[in-house]
Amino acid sequence: MLSGDVEAFAVLVARYRDRYARYAYHMLGNREDAEEALQDAFTRAYRSLARCEDPDRFAAWLFRILINRCRTTGARRGRRARTFVVDEGAVLAAAEEHPAERAAWREEIGRALAQLRPDQREAFLMKYVEEMGYDEMSRSTGVGVSALKMRVMRACERLRGMLTEVQNA
Amino acid sequence: MPEHDDEIIEQVADELRGPVPLSASFDARVMRAVRRFPRHSRHSRGAVWSRLTAPRAIVVRPLSAGLLAACVLALAGLGLVQAAKMVRAAAKPAVGGVFARTAKPAATQRVQFVLVAPDAKKVAVVGDFNGWDASHAAYQAKHRGGGVWSVTAPVPVGHHRYSFVVDDTVWMADPTAPRASDNDFGLPNSAIVVEADK
Repeated sequence: MLSGDVEAFAVLVARYRDRYARYAYHMLGNREDAEEALQDAFTRAYRSLARCEDPDRFAAWLFRILINRCRTTGARRGRRARTFVVDEGAVLAAAEEHPAERAAWREEIGRALAQLRPDQREAFLMKYVEEMGYDEMSRSTGVGVSALKMRVMRACERLRGMLTEVQNA
Repeated sequence: MPEHDDEIIEQVADELRGPVPLSASFDARVMRAVRRFPRHSRHSRGAVWSRLTAPRAIVVRPLSAGLLAACVLALAGLGLVQAAKMVRAAAKPAVGGVFARTAKPAATQRVQFVLVAPDAKKVAVVGDFNGWDASHAAYQAKHRGGGVWSVTAPVPVGHHRYSFVVDDTVWMADPTAPRASDNDFGLPNSAIVVEADK
């Protein structure tokens, strides 16, 4: 591989980092872990590029790697301590209008997400944030469609319960 | 469960769909990590990377006014008004053609890249000739007025793929050049052939 090809990979990093940073951040709850998982996903993708069976599906393949890295990172963090760290930079970046209310609401959403079971959080983020269909989710996770629908339903129930309390407080 | 009629869930989803900023050093860290791995073999059987990076046998004749006019008509016919504006502007003599050469024979030629991007703050050219490096100083386009950006930079003789990167984020094929039939992860690339002087 020519050195130029290594640099070409930088283009792929630039193209996909923002899209997948969002998933990793919401899955793991803080930027440090999200960047670690995302960096790990990119380096593993690079190292295993020959195993990418369909280059046209690179994005989906990379996402599958990231899902696994988030699962691993989340499990490791879970053994250390199950905490949710509010990323003030992300909160402020999203809080241009009505900053106090918006930041508080975003923080509550983060806390509620962190209280979901990881498999439910994963399914919820794919369905509602990444806006994936159940078949695509199934291919990405290796989990059956019925089980995924159940996870999404449970996640919605829990989020609705926790956030309705916040809104009514 | 009413998946799409749930106001709270939709509010949550809307909030979470916003961008999440990464550290400024993120890309550099990834690339440092990548460079530590052994290089992929371009010739190894089944290597996807070689499929993605191998030069393509694309024959492109030097652009002429006729080709540009055909592009304009084709694009206009497709309703791509903005793209057609770019082609027309790119064809103006004030900014030259898509590429131009010096008279001096050389292994590289000076190629002029032109893009009309009225809303852009920054335009760079990336290609296999500069390692797809959007920060390469020699390939930063300058705003020439009227939304026209151009840069004249050295490109080795031969077949190349390239693209414009607008504002460091938007990957845009050259609307005045043939598209490379890329399977390069969906990135739009254009094709040029730089010929040696005869």
